[in-house]
Amino acid sequence: MAVEAPPKPTLADKIYDRLFHNYVWKSIFRTGYPNTPRNQMLIVATNVFLHLHPTRIHRTHVKITHTYCLGGLSFFMFLGLTVTGILLMFYYVPSVERAYLDIQNITTTVQFGQLMRNMHRWMAHAMVILVFLHMMRVFYTGAYKPPREFNWVVGVILLVLTFLLSFTGYLLPWDQLAFWAITVGSEIAGSAPVLGPKTRFWMLGGFEVGPNALIRFYTLHVIGLPLLAAIFMAVHFWRIRRDGGLARPL
Amino acid sequence: MATAVVARPVARPQPRARDEEVLVWPDLIFIEFISALVFTVGLLILSTFMNAPLLDQANPDVTPNPSKAPWYLLNLQELLLHMNAAMAGIIVPTVWLILLAAFPYFDRDNEGQGAWFATENAWRITIVSGIVAFVGTWLLILWDTGKIAYFLNAWFGLSGGDTLRFLENVRSMQSQLPWPDWSRSITYLPFELRILDGTGRGGPTSFQNLDFPGWLVEQAIPITALVGLPSLLIYTLWRIGWVVSRRDALLALFTGFVVVFGVLTLVGTAFRGQGQELVLPWQLKVSEGIPGQEAH
Repeated sequence: MAVEAPPKPTLADKIYDRLFHNYVWKSIFRTGYPNTPRNQMLIVATNVFLHLHPTRIHRTHVKITHTYCLGGLSFFMFLGLTVTGILLMFYYVPSVERAYLDIQNITTTVQFGQLMRNMHRWMAHAMVILVFLHMMRVFYTGAYKPPREFNWVVGVILLVLTFLLSFTGYLLPWDQLAFWAITVGSEIAGSAPVLGPKTRFWMLGGFEVGPNALIRFYTLHVIGLPLLAAIFMAVHFWRIRRDGGLARPL
Repeated sequence: MATAVVARPVARPQPRARDEEVLVWPDLIFIEFISALVFTVGLLILSTFMNAPLLDQANPDVTPNPSKAPWYLLNLQELLLHMNAAMAGIIVPTVWLILLAAFPYFDRDNEGQGAWFATENAWRITIVSGIVAFVGTWLLILWDTGKIAYFLNAWFGLSGGDTLRFLENVRSMQSQLPWPDWSRSITYLPFELRILDGTGRGGPTSFQNLDFPGWLVEQAIPITALVGLPSLLIYTLWRIGWVVSRRDALLALFTGFVVVFGVLTLVGTAFRGQGQELVLPWQLKVSEGIPGQEAH
């Protein structure tokens, strides 16, 4: 019986070989193309971003109706808000004199400025809604049960941080909507027993929404709260892995 | 179902079922990629056609009517209209968040996790609690805005006259009942206690006077409603045999919360017009605060 000779490599094969099997490429991506189970697991295990995942998960968890991707999408909104937020920071100065004019500038003269601002705004609303829906998903699937008790608590903290991130960003355009919404919102905080008036004073840096409030909200919005949220998210994701992935029936 | 467990199982990760597993790449990465793509494209399209709002520059001298907090706080702003400010704005949300965080320490049974509505009566409890919370919240809002009394009078000609006026809404219990003078200033604490003093001016070692009718309508009745109505719901569901575990009780409580939160947010957003009057959404107008523009 004649053994068939392997086909000669075509030009495409040679180009592919040159592009992806060279020293430089292999130094960046150590695994081959993920078309075999071995490489597919290796690519998840060796890539820092994909390594948030395990290499394999229970098959019920890839059913879309089990999670509706709500937690992942909340995180994706956070990433998108970071990107659009950084772009907006290029043009925005948090001073009472400039803030409003800068927003007008962004929406009228900056290329894609209006689009960036719109994206930032709608993504922020989407994140609040997605985080809330994610909480509902986790509750109705009983996913807070042992051993995930504390991760539920971390989730509640992240929910509050999401509200605070959105709330601090609300003031920054320095228009009538922003100013009066924060006035009303901070009055709610100021009504707290014992600590209320002081809390409001610390929050606003004064008795009324003014320059001090603007710089405080800005600093919290662009660095303080995102850092805090990132830390709690790291804990949240880490614990999902440590607790054996998503909850599934016993 | 055999529930005679000798000792509570120690919280530890479940053992893996390797033959039930799929590869993250491509099975999960694909889903994540597609959902991220759908949201990116969807939000890009939304952003192309809908601009983020930008009103006139902030002006502390010009107050828009109504002034509203961001939409996700309008539920609290709505609560503020019905009770003491410190309670609505701080105490209720704080207590609720602590309760929410404590859920897993109350319901420690690890049965029924990882599946939607896993207990036997979960669907029934959720739907009934949702309906009760929806109707109940609307009724309470309509009652406290005096709309129920108004409709009874306008549609059916039913009027209680002056004797029943104190039932018109919560506040009217304070204003329409013949409270004796002493009940409005009950001295009760020789301390500087600022908890019940909205002004924050307790003064050193001053005696606190309790305005009983005010306390009744601003704190006692709201607390009774906020604690009592959910408890009554859970108790009823327990008595008819639907709620049989802590998980079931939490299902009723959480569903009630979600629906009440939703209704309050909706009312605060779409049904509150000038002077925080309850109006229909299409009658909602915002005055920019320019003198002479206010509707009367």
